[in-house]
Amino acid sequence: MKEFTPLPDKPAPNDVVGIIPWLKDNLFPTPLNSLVTLAIIAFFVTVIPPLFDWLFFSANWSGTTQAACTNKDGACWVFVIAWSKQFFYGSYPVEELWRINTCLLALVAIIVASFKLHKDLRNKIAIPLFLLLPFLSIILLDGSLIGLEYVATDYWGGFTLNVMLAAASIIVAFPLSFLWALGRRSDMPFIRSVSVILIEFFRGVPVLALFFMGSVMLPLFFPEGTNVDKLLRVWIVLTLFMSGYMAEVFRGGFQAVPNGQYEAADSLGLGFWQKTLLIILPQVIKISMPNILATFVMLFKNTTFLLIIGIFEMLSTTQTALTNSNWLGGHSTEGYLFVAVVFWICCFSMSMISSSIERKLDTSHKN
Amino acid sequence: MSINHEQSIENNDDIIIIKDLNKWYGDFHVLKDINLRVKKGERIVICGPSGSGKSTMTRCINRLEEFQRGSLIVNGVEMIEDVKNIEAIRREVGMVFQHFNLFPHLTILENLTLGPIWVQKKPKKEAEAIAMKYLERVKIPDQAQKFPGQLSGGQQQRVAIARSLCMNPEIMLFDEPTSALDPEMIKEVLDVMVELADEGMTMLCVTHEMGFAKKVADRVIFMDAGEIVEQNTPEELFNNPQTDRLQLFLSQILDH
Repeated sequence: MKEFTPLPDKPAPNDVVGIIPWLKDNLFPTPLNSLVTLAIIAFFVTVIPPLFDWLFFSANWSGTTQAACTNKDGACWVFVIAWSKQFFYGSYPVEELWRINTCLLALVAIIVASFKLHKDLRNKIAIPLFLLLPFLSIILLDGSLIGLEYVATDYWGGFTLNVMLAAASIIVAFPLSFLWALGRRSDMPFIRSVSVILIEFFRGVPVLALFFMGSVMLPLFFPEGTNVDKLLRVWIVLTLFMSGYMAEVFRGGFQAVPNGQYEAADSLGLGFWQKTLLIILPQVIKISMPNILATFVMLFKNTTFLLIIGIFEMLSTTQTALTNSNWLGGHSTEGYLFVAVVFWICCFSMSMISSSIERKLDTSHKN
Repeated sequence: MSINHEQSIENNDDIIIIKDLNKWYGDFHVLKDINLRVKKGERIVICGPSGSGKSTMTRCINRLEEFQRGSLIVNGVEMIEDVKNIEAIRREVGMVFQHFNLFPHLTILENLTLGPIWVQKKPKKEAEAIAMKYLERVKIPDQAQKFPGQLSGGQQQRVAIARSLCMNPEIMLFDEPTSALDPEMIKEVLDVMVELADEGMTMLCVTHEMGFAKKVADRVIFMDAGEIVEQNTPEELFNNPQTDRLQLFLSQILDH
């Protein structure tokens, strides 16, 4: 019998590799496509140079007052630079800013640690730290409990407040929403109906309405004389709102875990919580990761709505700056553009982190 | 009925005792008056057309399926509606599934040590030693650090068998363990199962591998339409079928 030898590899034909065939195939395959390509090039040529000129070349960079913005054809970045401390830190006392920075550094450090640490340590160290972080941060920022100068929440503000509120909300919402999602799947009628009511309420009511309820209505339910901090109420509202959405994300994740996984866990004799936490939860998180992140980005951007109830987050600080009597020169384009860019950079970074987590979790199996 | 019941508990030879087991899916009567006794160390192959209830019956034994009437005693413990009781029975019964059902987010070694560590509360080192012992027995110790998705179907199924064995079960249930495998991988899984049978493990195996049945089974059970129609030694059952239904079934699977 003749021995089997596969045919030798041949190179790809010349007319499909290289730049010229690529251009021909992708940009000018038909007359109509060629026309569209040329139109797009023309659009870039007319729009990009003036835009870059306004943004960078003619822009005013140095100075501390409005008077420094001499070139009216360029952006007045002096406005953004002069107000940058307020944009980022609000009215928090300058000499105490290290507290905010410490909290943010701790957040970044824990995120990095959860990537770098070995799996066993990650579960034992990073997760508890994550859950503790919001509370430790509040203690540090408030200061009165640990002998530092007391800083009332009225002074907290700026972009760091957006970040910390969003982070603190999602951290608490994570376990809460998981329990709600679990409750919604429960066989026990009471637990199931409570979960469904909570989820549907916080998903069905607009976030702005929830904020108003938190700031105006909620105090009516507290006993006379108790004064629950406004920021704390906002945090609770954000957490519950986030939990409602994430519970539905988790529910989708639960449904995507094959029945065989439950059966295999059952047949080993694992108890309900062992099965849920060791087998099901890791797979649910993996499946839900893109949606969890999308929900988080939504929540993060929604923190700017807080300007309506008078929380000094970044957008409301920007509006304050725009109406400041020393800066009435019409810098709203620069101001809002800056807010947009800062938020965009953060959201885009989170997308990158998320896809990196997805790659890390993807152990290439579909069964 | 309760008198029979007490008698059956006294009989120590029988590790599984199923009495008048009935199960319905809604109106559909899947299992009809199933009576089955399995001796310790006995190897039983269950065959029958699809939808005959053979998988369902097997899955009742470790309570992956509920039943509505009848009684079931596994290793001296009666199956009742109680979580602790069900978990106790599941610890004695290993199960191998058609689709392996390995935990995809854990390495092979972690798949094997999960039960010993969390259910039997063994120290990690000891659990890993046990896991490696069984991985060697199914001849894939070199795959310990890989994830299930990186293994072939036959390897995954051998890991699944090893995972069950790590719990040191009294009984092993196999629910069509080779049906999802390519032909060249069926043999490697059957080899492991034959070895296991030779060591005296009590086995209940739902399969269409008649060669395996002839080789290892002490008894072959033929089920159809939710009933045990015939049971006998493999030689008798295959060569001398008593019922039309079994004759028809055998003619269909042995024709080619």
